Amino acid sequence: MELGLFWLVGFVVHILAASAKTLNYEWNITWVSANPDGLQERPVIGINGQWPLPVLDFTLGDRVIAKVYNALGNQSSSIHWHGFFQNGTTHMDGAPSITQCDIAPGSTFVYNFTVDQTGTYWYHSHSRGQYPDGLRQALVIRGPDEPYSGQYDEERVITLSEWYHDPMPTLLKQFISVTNPTGAEPVPKSALMNDTQNLTVAVESGKTYLFRLVNVAAFASQYFWIEDHTMRIVEVDGVWTEPAETSMIYITAAQRYSFLVTMKNDTSKNYAMVGSMDTDLFDTLPPTLNYNVTGWLVYDNQAEKSAPANISSFDPYDDFGLVPVDGEKLLDDPDYTVTLDLTMDNLGDGANYAFFNGITYVMPKVPTLYTALTTGSAATNSTVYGYNTQAFILDKGDIIDLVLNNDDTGKHPFHLHGHNFQVVVRSDENAGHYDANNSPALPSVPMRRDTIYVKPAGHFVIRFRADNPGVWIFHCHIEWHMDAGLAVVLIEAPLDLQKTLTIPEDHWQACDASDTLKEGNAAGNTKDFYDLTGANVSVPPLPAGFTARGIVALVFSCIAAVLGLISIVWYGMAPITVKESPADERREVGSNSSSSSS
Amino acid sequence: MVNVFAVQVFFIVFRECLEAAIILSVLLSFLKQSLGQPHQDQSIYKRLVRQVWAGSMVGILCCLIIGGAFIGVFYGLGHDIWSKAEKLWEGIFYLIATIIITVMGLALLRINKTKEQWRVKIAKALVDKGKNQTKSKWLSGWARRYAMFLLPFVTTMREGVEAVVFVGGVSLGYPATAFPLPVLTGMLTGLTCGYLIYRGGNAMSIQIFLIASTCVLYLIAAGMFSKSIWDLQYYRYQMAVGSDVAEQGSGPGSYNIRETVWHVNCCNAETDNGWDVFNSILGWENTGTYGSIISYNAYWIFIILCVGYMLWEERSGKRSLRERILVVFAKVPGLKWYASPKLAAMQQNPEDIVREVHSGLFNEEGAEQQQVVELK
Repeated sequence: MELGLFWLVGFVVHILAASAKTLNYEWNITWVSANPDGLQERPVIGINGQWPLPVLDFTLGDRVIAKVYNALGNQSSSIHWHGFFQNGTTHMDGAPSITQCDIAPGSTFVYNFTVDQTGTYWYHSHSRGQYPDGLRQALVIRGPDEPYSGQYDEERVITLSEWYHDPMPTLLKQFISVTNPTGAEPVPKSALMNDTQNLTVAVESGKTYLFRLVNVAAFASQYFWIEDHTMRIVEVDGVWTEPAETSMIYITAAQRYSFLVTMKNDTSKNYAMVGSMDTDLFDTLPPTLNYNVTGWLVYDNQAEKSAPANISSFDPYDDFGLVPVDGEKLLDDPDYTVTLDLTMDNLGDGANYAFFNGITYVMPKVPTLYTALTTGSAATNSTVYGYNTQAFILDKGDIIDLVLNNDDTGKHPFHLHGHNFQVVVRSDENAGHYDANNSPALPSVPMRRDTIYVKPAGHFVIRFRADNPGVWIFHCHIEWHMDAGLAVVLIEAPLDLQKTLTIPEDHWQACDASDTLKEGNAAGNTKDFYDLTGANVSVPPLPAGFTARGIVALVFSCIAAVLGLISIVWYGMAPITVKESPADERREVGSNSSSSSS
Repeated sequence: MVNVFAVQVFFIVFRECLEAAIILSVLLSFLKQSLGQPHQDQSIYKRLVRQVWAGSMVGILCCLIIGGAFIGVFYGLGHDIWSKAEKLWEGIFYLIATIIITVMGLALLRINKTKEQWRVKIAKALVDKGKNQTKSKWLSGWARRYAMFLLPFVTTMREGVEAVVFVGGVSLGYPATAFPLPVLTGMLTGLTCGYLIYRGGNAMSIQIFLIASTCVLYLIAAGMFSKSIWDLQYYRYQMAVGSDVAEQGSGPGSYNIRETVWHVNCCNAETDNGWDVFNSILGWENTGTYGSIISYNAYWIFIILCVGYMLWEERSGKRSLRERILVVFAKVPGLKWYASPKLAAMQQNPEDIVREVHSGLFNEEGAEQQQVVELK
């Protein structure tokens, strides 16, 4: 039965492939100047001199060939196709140090893959901390057999994001710094909707629209609502769902929601749609910060666009309850469970880092995919990928449970490359660690998506089948946390990769251009794969308690105090050898008075 | 603990009360020796003794009122301003307190010497009054009539206000609740001690007690000096970090790792019970910084050098440091009023003045004595 379905899908894809086209993109990544929030002009990263970036339209079965030339001059770059399975093309995933080398300034890299999924996605730089500077945009894939085709008249894409005024390298330097021991993330300067503010979306009364909402942010989740309009959620992260009505959506960085809205028949009024950044995430809330961004559904261009009304509380839809249209059942019990305990802590340089199981992610010298391809049979041993990549080797076809326990008090949106996953458990706040023996029954048709957030001091469990050979990073999609090391690497069927994958020449050239090693273990050792001498490792931990110098200092202080006290006692005990001692005086006075009485 | 008992305050009050008690005892000794003899008029003697007590009491009362007002105004107006940059002010206040304690502390060991100085001071004041036949005969007469009231009144009030200013300077960082208890106990201990000295009890045990309290005082001072540096560094760190680092408790992020010599994730003087006592007496911090440790050691070395110098000075009979400092102060316009009289008192031969008092003060009653002195 399953095999039959597989053949059927294969047949459909084949038919589509015949009609599918090849999309050729020639992209120059360049600096552009922009002022999207009207507060400050700043350099942003554009494509071919354009910013905001183009919203891409793909069709199921298309071949995408994107030739990316890095013309930034001062920064490396990359393009990650967020949410793409990249089955068979893990090397096109676009994550530097994981599946490719960074594209150095002046070099070119070609992404070449076919599109075999539909829904709402986005593309962004995956180079360290780069995409909040502008290199991110929504991407839509349409297919012929979508469950809601025909049920709406038009589509609108809406992106949300926070916006900073300082360039990311500057902010990152301040963020991971001894002067930021609490790991307080830089607070954005404003929020954007479609990379602008006061967006107007012309709508016609009575029509039904499919809105594709994408949070292309690097940090802030947003509450989104449209005044007096009900949203019917029909898609999350590329997974079509049974319609779910709500008046508010909570969308974290990197998540997507599609929803249907049927317009009113009355055209006299325009309606505000509001994105409101989740200020729980911010350590401080500057009084000048407007954490809301407003747009309007414009029925009548002449009518007033009134400011949105204040709301008393946020009551968003709980995405855990969504049901995929395809009805994919809960996968079997896991063959392998990866448990990750999330903590934030300071290391020896005084800066704050993020940890899974006490290990903070540090990029290896050799991109992990290349290590998997060049270490032979040792590729199935996680040691060769380096201590600080925290690699997990997954066997092909296994059912994997990934348990994430959040020992931090913040919300974290997690993204797994190369998969969408069943969300089988997500706890409330402060639920503590996941306990398999003491948890609610798992949903029979779990919601699937590729980015899921964990609640403060809570946990989630996601389940997926390791059916996609490749190297996939699992990381927090808050870019600050990602750069602070909140990531692990999952390596699926490395020996299969060695047999099937051929890395194109331009990918190797990118490594040469960026002086990155191309083979061997994480340390670049091509002889002894288990010798990781020289591998990139994290800063050593802070010494706790008394070290040698502390003891010496304390002992010296004690000695100084004791000597000081001795000197005081000595002084106090010393006879007072002044010219006239009080004793003499008393005697004299005494004699004086006695003589007077005589 | 620290919120209800500021140890520094206790010691300052103790010290000032001891001094006041000594003044009183000196005055009473004077009276006793001059007028209190069996053959003399007991009514005059008793009247004068009453005057002394009344004068001291009124003086103390006045200074308590002034002090209360001072501290009340201070907490009413100033505290909010300072709480905003708490660590900066704390650092500065601790520095002031350290200097005050350091300057006055060692004198506690020479309290007998102080007693002597006071004898001279009082005698001199009496002599001056006797000499200056001022413009108004009435005033002069009044002043003389009530000399035994005015003298203790003026001196206790002056010393008392000094104490208030010192207490204020030392304890600016404390909440108002930290005052009453140490002030009360400090007064009691000081007066008891003064009484014991007056009674001429066991000189040795009093001396040991004084030594012990001086030791504690200097432990506190060293700790405060170290803490003052610590606070200033911490303030700078707070500025750099920008957020409220105190919220971080004791763990990473609560301290500047670049200046840390040791750090233990516990025993935080600000948050953990018991350690605040350790902190206020010995200057303990769960983070030892280079600045605080070096300053702590340097402070003790400085004290050792000072003590060495003072011992040498006493033994060699050279002009004392205090005198030298006063000489310098006397040349500074703003400080002249303070330094000159003290210097004058110091440079006068105490023997002479005391004798002069005995001869000149109570001339009606003391004619007999005067003769005796002259005979001698």
